[in-house]
Amino acid sequence: MAQPEVPSPEGDAEERRLIDRSASGDQEAFRQLVLRYHRLVINVAFRALGELSLAEDVAQDVFIKVHKALPTYRHDRPFKHWLHRVAANAVTDALRRRRPVVSLDGMEQPPASAVPDPQDVAARHDLQRAVRHAIANLPPHYRDTIALQAFGELSYDEIARALDIPLGTVMSRLNGAKRLLRERLGDLVRSSDDEVEANTA
Amino acid sequence: MLSHATTRDWLIPYADGMLASDERRPIDGHLAGCAACAAELREVRELNLLLVTLPPAPPVAFAPFWLKLQATLPQRRTIKLPTFARYRKLGLAFAVAAIAALAAASAALAAPSALPDNPLYPVKQLEESLQVAVTPSSGQLPLKLYLAGERLREAQAMAYDHKPRLAATSLRAFGVIVNDASAALKHADPRAASEDLKRLRADLDAVERANVTRNDDDADIKQVVAADLDEIDRIEQPEAVTPDPTLIIGTQATPQPTPQPTPRPTPRPEPSDDEHHR
Ligand SMILES: [Zn+2]
Repeated sequence: MAQPEVPSPEGDAEERRLIDRSASGDQEAFRQLVLRYHRLVINVAFRALGELSLAEDVAQDVFIKVHKALPTYRHDRPFKHWLHRVAANAVTDALRRRRPVVSLDGMEQPPASAVPDPQDVAARHDLQRAVRHAIANLPPHYRDTIALQAFGELSYDEIARALDIPLGTVMSRLNGAKRLLRERLGDLVRSSDDEVEANTA
Repeated sequence: MLSHATTRDWLIPYADGMLASDERRPIDGHLAGCAACAAELREVRELNLLLVTLPPAPPVAFAPFWLKLQATLPQRRTIKLPTFARYRKLGLAFAVAAIAALAAASAALAAPSALPDNPLYPVKQLEESLQVAVTPSSGQLPLKLYLAGERLREAQAMAYDHKPRLAATSLRAFGVIVNDASAALKHADPRAASEDLKRLRADLDAVERANVTRNDDDADIKQVVAADLDEIDRIEQPEAVTPDPTLIIGTQATPQPTPQPTPRPTPRPEPSDDEHHR
């Protein structure tokens, strides 16, 4: 069932009203705010965690945090970006709390049977899990920046605005984050790369 | 010619399309002649592919998500009857009965905020009808006004949620409740009644706006909203109507046998933020 996100330029005034009323304890206004954004937050959490029930729990946490923090929200930054930041923090926390099923050391030399095959759903899931854990284990400033790109699907520009840092800083952080990820994911990135080459050759 | 090291420093923003064309050109040049750096770029792109192909979540129903969230919010939902204080002048007995009705309503409604698309909704309907049955006649009007407001809240949520049939059902239920309460409203304190009606109009407007927000604004919703507005108009007509005996608010309900003509509300009531300037 397609349910397009409501926000639009003329919807901003309405959103502002919902935010102000939610902050002053109007639960119906907060309900409408959650109605607008629950999909976005659940998507971010699901991309990060890969498990729907867990993603819903984390999304609940995000909205509880938002509800608590709304009185401190100021309208000088788009609400969506602020929400993304709260969501990214919550999902990376949840990701770190979860002990990796497979250690990263083990993944650098995957057993022969586990060599990823893009056609293989299980192998794809292993890859995604490895990526999520590698992100979770990055240094915090790298982790928080790339979480917004990988889980939140924000552009460089949007990340800069969400974190309130210069675009150049976003660039260098993503650069650092991806270098570390490649280092740590090593064989996983390379072997599936070989697969791609073999397929396109 | 760029060095390997410099090229590699720029590969990630290069792969992300973040470089201007004059920044790209020297890198393109190096990549064309350097197999090692080209292989490096493929790895960067492979990582990007992994990052952007993390799948989105399957669809999640909103109503259960909200119910669960609402249960954990620090401030529990309170049944708000903004006009209650003004009815108080009708007498202590009325006030006591109304307070009892509200206390019972908030304690008894196990699914107080279930929306029509929620599996718990029939429970809510049952609880509401029990509530109406056990509430003394003096508490009926505030309860009905509250229930009428609930129907509009549901209708607005359903219209937003792209469920026009459920929205129209709640709107029709609203019309029935308002019609049911009309006699009591005509005999209530005219100022309080007029403000209640104004408020309901504003809420109806909000439903209509939610309906229009969806691109396919539903004709059925429009029609029922219009019918509901007519119902409110009828209540505001000054001429007396045969009162329904079950709906009269006790003996205090008729301090003035002929109700004052209520002032006509402005034809376009402002959006539902009238509690700001009560
Ligand atoms: Zn090179």
